[in-house]
Amino acid sequence: MTLRLLPTLAVWAVLAVLPMLLGPWELAMFGQLLIYGIAAMSLAFIWGQGGLVSFGQALFFGAGAYAMSLTSKGMLPGIPDSPWLGLLLAVVAGAVFGGLIGAALFFGKGLRTAYFGIITIAAAVIAERVTTNWRYIGGFNGLLDVPPLPLPGGLDSADPFAGYLLVLGFALLAFLFLLAVERSPYGTVLRGIRCDERRIMSLGFFVPLWKVLALAISGGVAGLAGGLFATQFSFVSPAVIGLALSTEILIWAAVGGKAVLLAAFVGAIIVKYMESYLSETIGNYWLLVTGIAFIAVVVLFPQGLLGRFFALPQPRRLRRD
Amino acid sequence: MVSSVTADFLKIDDIRKSFGGIHALRGVSFSLDAAGIKCIVGPNGCGKSTLFNILTGVLPPSAGTATLAGRRISGLAAHKVSRMGVGRKFQVPGVLSDLTVMEHMEIALAARATGGKVLKTLLWRGNRAEAIRMLEEAGLAEYGDKVASQLPHGIKQRLEILMLVARGMKLLLLDEPTAGMTATETQATIELIRRINETTDTAILVIEHDMTFVRDLACPLIVMMRGEVLREGSYDEVRADPQVRAAYLGDRHA
Repeated sequence: MTLRLLPTLAVWAVLAVLPMLLGPWELAMFGQLLIYGIAAMSLAFIWGQGGLVSFGQALFFGAGAYAMSLTSKGMLPGIPDSPWLGLLLAVVAGAVFGGLIGAALFFGKGLRTAYFGIITIAAAVIAERVTTNWRYIGGFNGLLDVPPLPLPGGLDSADPFAGYLLVLGFALLAFLFLLAVERSPYGTVLRGIRCDERRIMSLGFFVPLWKVLALAISGGVAGLAGGLFATQFSFVSPAVIGLALSTEILIWAAVGGKAVLLAAFVGAIIVKYMESYLSETIGNYWLLVTGIAFIAVVVLFPQGLLGRFFALPQPRRLRRD
Repeated sequence: MVSSVTADFLKIDDIRKSFGGIHALRGVSFSLDAAGIKCIVGPNGCGKSTLFNILTGVLPPSAGTATLAGRRISGLAAHKVSRMGVGRKFQVPGVLSDLTVMEHMEIALAARATGGKVLKTLLWRGNRAEAIRMLEEAGLAEYGDKVASQLPHGIKQRLEILMLVARGMKLLLLDEPTAGMTATETQATIELIRRINETTDTAILVIEHDMTFVRDLACPLIVMMRGEVLREGSYDEVRADPQVRAAYLGDRHA
């Protein structure tokens, strides 16, 4: 049984020793990959557990990135310009956007499957247009010079070593949080909703509330990733809130494995790493290669490349033997 | 007061339902005691399923009321009816295909322990011992770690009934629980229904076509025809009734 824990432990162990193996430049790049990994986990949670395919994950990510930037640059009247407060508000913004979209879609009509996906596409496109045309938040150019997170000892997250460890800490925190939720009885019911929501309803669960909470949780974690993105890249632009990034997040989770958090996390790191490698070696053809690889994986491995590898045993509570 | 509640645990009073000009139910009344079993028989289109839809909150009645232990259940939303203790087993096996049997039990037990509340469920610690005890009693323990889509048809049907019991339902509505089962599976299901009824005092209302099942379950029958109750009585009484024979069993029996 502990054997099946090994791949998961190995990933975190490798990520923890990377600072000793890599130079500052590569370490900074890896820190950015971890941020994409957090976004992929946030999608894997609602997609894999709740069966909700969201094409709007970048909306929550972007809401977090803008909340972080606007707060830390002191652009929100009455709110102090603290980067740490900005990160907190990034999580809140993602969760609120997730919860609001969920409430609008699931209370009343109760949209399902493809319709949910289509509406999230529309929401992401709208968000991209709004941010592009809104002068106060930077318009098309976005916001530059987002400050790093201050750390004890006079350091800040712009330092490659400290920045990497900070992002790794948040990635682990996001992983453990989502894992705890999906392994709770709430998670079991959420998987039940994925299978047949009418039947779950007939057992006395008010399904829309379940989905709204799942979207708020997912949105909050995506918002955290967005906040970290803004501070580590020190800028934010409408590109982080639109359809293109939403689609990328979807690809990461699908390639890694949507049903298993860590598979989606590692999927994001691998796809993004391959992308930068391929764009260096074959130029613009990388998009073609990524696209074909994505189609091949989805057709041949519907559960993703890493799902089985990182699948954890059921909690003791749910095992008979 | 208490005795009247036990006697008419489920009381259906002149329930009517029309869809446009079609009268699916034309005033159905009957009652079921606490811990009672009754079986509704009748040809297709006689209104059995419409009646179940009204009793579970899927459809509101056009007129009439249904009460459970004196409290009205007709016209309430589905999850509210469910929280009052009415559970329905659908005709097609209603298992959650990707989930294990133990996960099914957790969902049902969570619904009972938390009343279906979100935050309470999030913080609930589960009840493994109870899940295993119930599976053992129903003879399903060996399937605990199996995924539902891999289970034989009969086991799926029994798992679904067991979920309703684990949910703590006071009234079970079983819609053709043995449809598509082998004779052996049918007998096992009859035993399960009897055992549930005896050990948990759950009232049970069954819709069934299979006359062998109806005979072997040996419970009072309600014969429905064209949206009305035609006759109530035991299997032998109903079989002997000339009107029922002509209408339901077919002319060759008359």
